[in-house]
Parts: sequence; structure tokens; C-alpha cells
Amino acid sequence: MSNSKQDTVEKQSLLNQVKASFNNQSILLVATLVVLAVVFQITSQGIFLTTNTLGTVLNDWGSYILLAVAQTFVVITGGIDLSVGATVSLSSVVAGWVLVRGLGLDSTTSGSDATPYVLLAVLVSLLVGLTVGAINAFLINILKIVPFIATLATLGAMSGLAIIISGGMPLQGPNNWDLGIPYNIFGIQLPISTTVLAVMIITVICGLVLHKTKFGLHTFALGSNAFATRAAGISPARQITKVYMLSGGLAGLAGAYAYIRLGAGSPSNGSGMELYAIAAVVIGGVSLMGGVGRMIGIALGTLVLFTVQSGLLMVKVVTVSPSLKQVIVALLIVAAVAVQALQKPARR
Amino acid sequence: MNKRILSVGFAAVTAVALTLGITGCAPEKKLTIAFVMGAESDPFFQAMKVGAEAEALAQGVDLVWQGDPSAYDVATQVPIVDNVLAQSPDGLVLIPTDPTGLQASADKAIAAGVAVALVDTTINDTTDAITTITGDNADGGAKAADAIATAIGYEDGKTYEVVVGLTSATATTNVGRLNGFKDRVASTYPGIVIKDVAYSASNPQTANSNVNNWLTKYPNLKGIFAIDGTNASGAAAALQAKDLVGKIALVGYDAYPANVELIKSGVFTALIAQDPAAEARLAIQTLVAYIKNGTKPSVKDVVIPNVTLDANTSDEDFAKYTYVAIN
Repeated sequence: MSNSKQDTVEKQSLLNQVKASFNNQSILLVATLVVLAVVFQITSQGIFLTTNTLGTVLNDWGSYILLAVAQTFVVITGGIDLSVGATVSLSSVVAGWVLVRGLGLDSTTSGSDATPYVLLAVLVSLLVGLTVGAINAFLINILKIVPFIATLATLGAMSGLAIIISGGMPLQGPNNWDLGIPYNIFGIQLPISTTVLAVMIITVICGLVLHKTKFGLHTFALGSNAFATRAAGISPARQITKVYMLSGGLAGLAGAYAYIRLGAGSPSNGSGMELYAIAAVVIGGVSLMGGVGRMIGIALGTLVLFTVQSGLLMVKVVTVSPSLKQVIVALLIVAAVAVQALQKPARR
Repeated sequence: MNKRILSVGFAAVTAVALTLGITGCAPEKKLTIAFVMGAESDPFFQAMKVGAEAEALAQGVDLVWQGDPSAYDVATQVPIVDNVLAQSPDGLVLIPTDPTGLQASADKAIAAGVAVALVDTTINDTTDAITTITGDNADGGAKAADAIATAIGYEDGKTYEVVVGLTSATATTNVGRLNGFKDRVASTYPGIVIKDVAYSASNPQTANSNVNNWLTKYPNLKGIFAIDGTNASGAAAALQAKDLVGKIALVGYDAYPANVELIKSGVFTALIAQDPAAEARLAIQTLVAYIKNGTKPSVKDVVIPNVTLDANTSDEDFAKYTYVAIN
């Protein structure tokens, strides 16, 4: 084959690869984002598409995306993880406890002096998350409790534990606020901060793991046909353990994100987050029956959710009531599920 | 025969004397006051516990402290009250999680001869309760308005934009504080304009997002009233992240130690502190006086005022009003 033909074939397969990663749902989501951006830009009288607002949208996206990613893996296996919000609370509280009660620090340590402690907080949060994931896996594998009930129990237990450890109040510790401040490069203000960039990278890595690795393949297999998966020699129990620990670990990192965002670990940091994570996953095109989903859909679904949240607040032409906001989010979920039902199944 | 009559008589007299002696010298039975509060996890109730325990000790009564560990909920509180009443306490201090839902439980206690005090919240019919003691949410809202007005250097004739962050549209504490704030602004500070209110649904990250968006939407924003703890945390973080400490007046509610620290660093202009310990102390005092002596309080319905904590507050007052955690 001549060089130019080879190049064309390679370029085509890259293009095909990118195309393939966008299924119908994702394309619809991109279209939705464009429409929302236009609508909000007009109704906010020009302040929606500014780096400030976009920075806030991405900041919110960053808070929830890791939970959505976690939920994606779990839901694709046909399970669900209701404990992710509670894990965010618990991990941020334990991190706060270690820094404030354990090391005796407070919020007067700030700026780059605080960075090593922030990294410690991230490590502690991750470990807490992995532990909660392991507990979930134990309940599901060994005690044979269905994921819905198992993770519901963990939700209750971990929320309670977070309250006990923190005394019900925020544990305010050292924080480097610069980590949450969007970059300004050569005078150009971007809407992305260090924390947002970090979760973007983690999301991309998780996407590659889901779609390009054996682990990802086994995750889909388990959700599609558990029996066939076992027959093929893959241990469902081991896969479940890995998936729920991954979910817990990601939730732990989301807890660290919350700590950095607020400068404190608090038992309410994760309040209600599990519901948004599930909503984002459904909007992103993952079937709650298992076996279907694309990471890019998740990233876009989460972005749509928070574009709506911030957008509605920025509207100037009318006052949007909070209840209307909730209705709109609910309609989005219904629409997303309806679209999914109308699509042909991605793979069999 | 005589000896036997004598010895029996002696034994009888001794027995009677001993019995009389025992009953005569027997200590009075210690009173038991049951305290069924809202949610153990709430620092407001933990601070109340500190006051309750201190007063119980001072009064020489036994305190039975009960309540759901984390859920502020009728469904969990009613069985707890039933449980507590089964132990036949002399008095019951109740923090009803719902004015209708706990009416039956309170009535049951009163019918059983238990002296009842209602604290913080109340029930629909308090006729037979000994006392009701509340904080004043409307007053708290008004004090917040005063604090913001002072911080922004309010002058008649000028316009000042403020926003209010709440947890929910229906929580009675939130509604009371917002109305108090609005009324005070309308009557005394007409130049203050409340541009928007938003809800955080108990999540400080949501509150943080709301404040960030407001800071973009209202570039002339002068003040933020954070009506509860989660809004206060989210707002404080937003101001610190955007380096707006001291440029926008932030008034919060509830004296969490973490937030009290932030008054000293200038992040919070003021915090409105309730006095849960005083509410508990007064309740126990009143019940014990009634049970022991039958005296009813001269004022049946007591309202404990809020206190504004700010940069001018004395260390003594900070120590007095900061909520105490048990950990």
C-alpha cells in the first residue's frame, strides 16, 4: 500500500473511532447543549456564555461527574450504588477530621502551605471511599443482598457515621483556594480550574477503562448476561467487588473535591447527590437494565444537568422558581429515557 | 408465758419502730425529667443537651435524654415519646417535630400526669402544657437585616442589592427568618433590595453554586443572608475562593465553631446565634418547680431572644453562645 493510502486509512479509522464514541444519545445531548446555551444566553441578557458562569457550571459538573462515572460502571453491571452521596459526606468528614482533630490544623493554613494537607485529604478520602465500596461488595457478594438494598443500608450507615464523627458540624481545615480558581493563561481567562482539570482527566481515564480494557468488557458482559459471563470463566463476584470498590473510590475522590471546594468536611456535603448521579447517568444514555452505556454520554448528560441548573438561575427576563427548576430536570430525565427506548439497541 | 408475751411485744415494737424509722428517714425519690428532642446530630440540639445536663445536675434530677440520632421526623419521634412515657417520668420536655403529629403524644403525657414543657417548636394546642419556650426566627431575620445594614453602611436614598440563601421553601425556621428579614427591610431599610432567593436543599455545594452564580449575575451585590448552616458554609467558601472577603457582607445563622472562627477572620460579618442551652435550662427549671411545689410560671409562653455575634463581640460572649460539639 502506498503511504498516502495508508494515511487515509489511518485517518479514517481515527475519525471512525471518534464517531463511534458518539452514539445517537450523545449527539442529541450535544444538540441539547447548543440549544440550552443559546436560550440561556438570550434570556440571561448575555451573561451565560461568560467565563464566570461557565466556570461555575464546570465547577458543579466537577462535583458530580465522578459520581456519575461511578454510577455508570455499577449500573452497566445491572446494579446500582445509592451510597455514593453518603460516601462523599463521610470521606470529606474523615479527611476534615484527620486535618482538624488529628493534626490540630485550621483554616489559617492556606495557599500553597496548605497543598500538602490537601493532598493528604485526597488520599484519606480515597481510602474511605474504597472501604465503603468493599463493604458494599461484601454485602452483595457474601450476604447476597441485592445492590439496591445493600447500598441503601450503607447510605444510612455512612451518613450516620459522618454525623457522629463530625458532631453534625463542618470541620474546617487547611485549604488552597487557588486549586478551585479557573486558570488565566497569558491573560486569557479560562473556565477550568485545577480541580476541574483533575476530574476531567480521571473521567477520560475511566472512559478508556470502560471502553478499551478487559475490565470494561467484563463490566458490560456482567450487565448483559451474568450467566454467560460466568460460563466464560469470569468471576461475577470478583467483578462486582472491583466495580463497587471503583465506585466507592470515585465517590471518595468526589468527597475530596467537596472538601477543596468548601474548605471543610461536612456531613451534608453529599446530601442528595446520589439522585443527581443517577439522573445524569440516565440522561447520558445508560440503561438501568444494564449492559448499555457510553462514558461520553455521561460526561455530556452531567453537563446538560448543570447547564440547566446554573442557566435557570442566570435568567433575567423572568424569575424562574426553584420548583420549576425541579420540574425541568424531571422532564429532562423522562425525555432521555424516552429517546433511549426509541433507539435500536447498540449491541447484542 | 410472760417472757413470750414480752419478747413478742418487744419484737413488734421494734418492728414498728424500725419501719417508722426507715420511712421517716427515707430519702425523697429523685425526680426524672425526660427530654425528647429533634435530631441528635444537629449541633443546635447538642448545645441544648449541654444546658439540660447542667440544669439537671443543679436541680438534682435524673435526665433521660432521647431522640432520633439523625432524622428530624415525626415518624421516628412518636415511638420514642411512647417509649419514654412507658418509663413513667415526672416531667417531659418535648421538642415536637410537627405541631399536629405530636399533639397526641403530648396529650397522652398530660393525661398520665406528666408535666410537659414544649421547647423550640410547639404543638397546636398547648392549653395543658406547663410552659412553651421558643427562639424567635422572625427576630433572628430582623437582626440579620440590622447586621447587613450596619455592615454596608446603609444610608437612606441609596439602593443596595442583597440575596438570601435558604435550604427549603417550607422549613418553618427558614420561612420565619426570611419573613423577619423582609419585614425589617421593608420597615427600616427600604433601600435594601432583595434581588433573589435560592434553595440549597441542605447541600453546601449547591449553596456554593448559587452564590457563585449570584456574584456573576449581580456585580453590585452588597450582602448575602445565609439563613442556615449549609448556606453559610457554601457562601463563605464562595467569598474566600473569589477573594471577596470583606467586600460583601455575609450574615449567617447558628454559631457553629467553624463559622465563629470565620467572624474573626472577617469572612462572616455576623452570625445570628440562638440560645438552645438557655431554652433547655429554663424548661427543666420550670418543670421541677411545678412538680415539687405546684408553682406555675408567671409567664407561660417564653421567647428567648437571639444574639448577634460579630467582630465586636467579647470573648466571653463568644464562649457563651458558640454551639458546643460533643466530639
